[in-house]
Amino acid sequence: MRKYYLPIVITLLVVTFWVKPDIQEIAAGIAIFLFGMLMLEDGFKLFGSGMLERLLTSATRSTPRALLFGIVSTTVLQSSSLVSVITISFLSAGLLSLLGGVGIIFGSNIGTTTGAWLVAGFGLRVNISAYAMPMIALSIILVLQKVKGLRGVGYALGGLGFLFLGIHHMKEGFDAFKDQIDLAQFALPGLLGLVIYTLLGALATVIMQSSHATMTLIITALAASQISYDNALALAIGANIGTTITAVIGALSANFQGRRLAAAHVMFNAATASVALVFISPLRESVDWVSALVGIADTDYALKLAVFHTIFNVLGVVLMLPLLKRMVGLLESRILEPAPDISQPRHLNKAVDEFPQTLESALRKEVMHLYENAVDIILHGLNLHSHDLYKSESIAATVRHSRRPIEMNIDADYERRIKTLYAAIFDFSTRAGDTQLDPETAVRIHALRDAATDIVHAVKSVKHLRKNVLRYTTHQLGTTTELYDALRTEIARIIVEIRKLEHAEPDVRSALWLDQERVQIEADARNTTQTIDGLIRSHKIDATAATSFLTDSGYAYDAMRVLIEAARVYYIERDNALAEVERLLTLDDEDIVAGSTRDLRQQVTAPDHTNVAKDG
Amino acid sequence: MGLKKLTEKISDYHVRLDSGKASKIKPIHVTKVLGKLQAKETALKTEIAATEQGEKRQRLTRKLDIAQTQIQRAKHLLQAIS
Repeated sequence: MRKYYLPIVITLLVVTFWVKPDIQEIAAGIAIFLFGMLMLEDGFKLFGSGMLERLLTSATRSTPRALLFGIVSTTVLQSSSLVSVITISFLSAGLLSLLGGVGIIFGSNIGTTTGAWLVAGFGLRVNISAYAMPMIALSIILVLQKVKGLRGVGYALGGLGFLFLGIHHMKEGFDAFKDQIDLAQFALPGLLGLVIYTLLGALATVIMQSSHATMTLIITALAASQISYDNALALAIGANIGTTITAVIGALSANFQGRRLAAAHVMFNAATASVALVFISPLRESVDWVSALVGIADTDYALKLAVFHTIFNVLGVVLMLPLLKRMVGLLESRILEPAPDISQPRHLNKAVDEFPQTLESALRKEVMHLYENAVDIILHGLNLHSHDLYKSESIAATVRHSRRPIEMNIDADYERRIKTLYAAIFDFSTRAGDTQLDPETAVRIHALRDAATDIVHAVKSVKHLRKNVLRYTTHQLGTTTELYDALRTEIARIIVEIRKLEHAEPDVRSALWLDQERVQIEADARNTTQTIDGLIRSHKIDATAATSFLTDSGYAYDAMRVLIEAARVYYIERDNALAEVERLLTLDDEDIVAGSTRDLRQQVTAPDHTNVAKDG
Repeated sequence: MGLKKLTEKISDYHVRLDSGKASKIKPIHVTKVLGKLQAKETALKTEIAATEQGEKRQRLTRKLDIAQTQIQRAKHLLQAIS
């Protein structure tokens, strides 16, 4: 169906232009209007620089706030479709709740009514093109500037200018058109007219993918007396149904939460439209009453349509708001969260691609998902269980008691639980690098990708250890077992320390804590060589076992270093200034070596080198 | 782990700041990080007091040493940017 859509629409337009050349100006007006909306969107994306995303995250802590955010953001952006798509992205990235998301959609339906007021109250009353021309001319100067903020203002100003120009051409087009053909002759009274024009309004919105453009078209046609007031009311109801198509398309690439939100949007708009169609007569009367109250002339149908649009959308929200929680419950029970597949990316999908904050947040969660899988494989590879370790008072004692071999195929687990996720993270972060990110976000995205690479290296290192861990730690084989237990203890300790960081409150924790582990790792690594020397001299270990162990300890310390580095990247402050402070205070490699050497000096004086499996 | 290297890092930070490649640090930023380090110092001291003599205690003492070094550096940084 999709492949026929474009040729059919283009053919229809060309034939229509050939048969009725006057339609060209109306069509061009719609095209300019839609172009203006695209420019306005691009402008806000540049100009906002994450402002909208930050607001969205904080504005949905309660339903009234979500509702207000939906109203204000749609009024400012003049596009409920854009607000829906942003909301789906944020919901998919787990940055807001379904309840908050549905609240925004409700508010957005009220916010979109301001468009009708703009056109009916301003667009038709003044020579709007007189404003449009200078706005467009000025905007291009700003668009050509290098400063991102100015470029954003330029796009937004230009977008508004094109919106006005589009309205002007639609108005002019209908004025010229009415001299040729009176569309009013196709007006249909009664129920049939109501149904047909509702369907027409929905169809027009699906084609233009903008209820705002449809409403502008309806109001300009109504002002030119090309459609009857009754049919205009039905068209406006239809536009509200048709506008859900953007959310449905947006949800196709989203996760289950995005699909729930799109379903909520369809349910809300369909229910509101049904109520409006059933109660069209009382609604019409209430429009007349409100219009008289605010001084709108009885024959000013354009403004009365704006009143109608507002009343029926507000009515929809008032009716649906008490059912909000029930609606969310229904959606959660009908659109189920798929059973988690640990081998597949959970958070990276196309719906989160578009906005820097959702993109970074989704990537961050996926890296954590990779880390959790890696920790499972690393601990099992060392014959350790996470639940034993995390509740342990003494890691060394827990390790000493973990002698039972854990059945696993570490190569297969790596392929299944690490490689697929890592590939998805790599692909996603590379694609993200191609988008227009601010430099700080781009740096953080690349750092997260590097953290994923470190995590993968840690798993690979433990893969090398696995054979000798099975050989030496499943039975007590004297000094060699103690040596491997010490390595297992050190890796386990690093994992436990990283877990402590994860569980600490963000306001309390600091990635700088990891420097303490870095110094310890280097001290232990240096101490290992001395310990082995002492053991060979005292004939407690033969040279073959010693070299084998030294190779394995190299892998183990590499695993510890990259795990710490990954954690440092992951937990560094997200505020750029705080991150800068942490970078300044963190110990560099020279400091770490100096610190570990000092440790070594302390340990060299210790009496017993063979006590390798330490307490702790 | 001397302060000389930190002074060099601060000079490098100022160069990056002037060329627009670093975010401006205010005293409040350093104070916030300092607070986190001091919280860790307190936690480590408490843990050391509750730990019997042995390798674990030595390990914790070494951690405390690093935390105190970082606190000293944070105070130096605070002075440098104030």
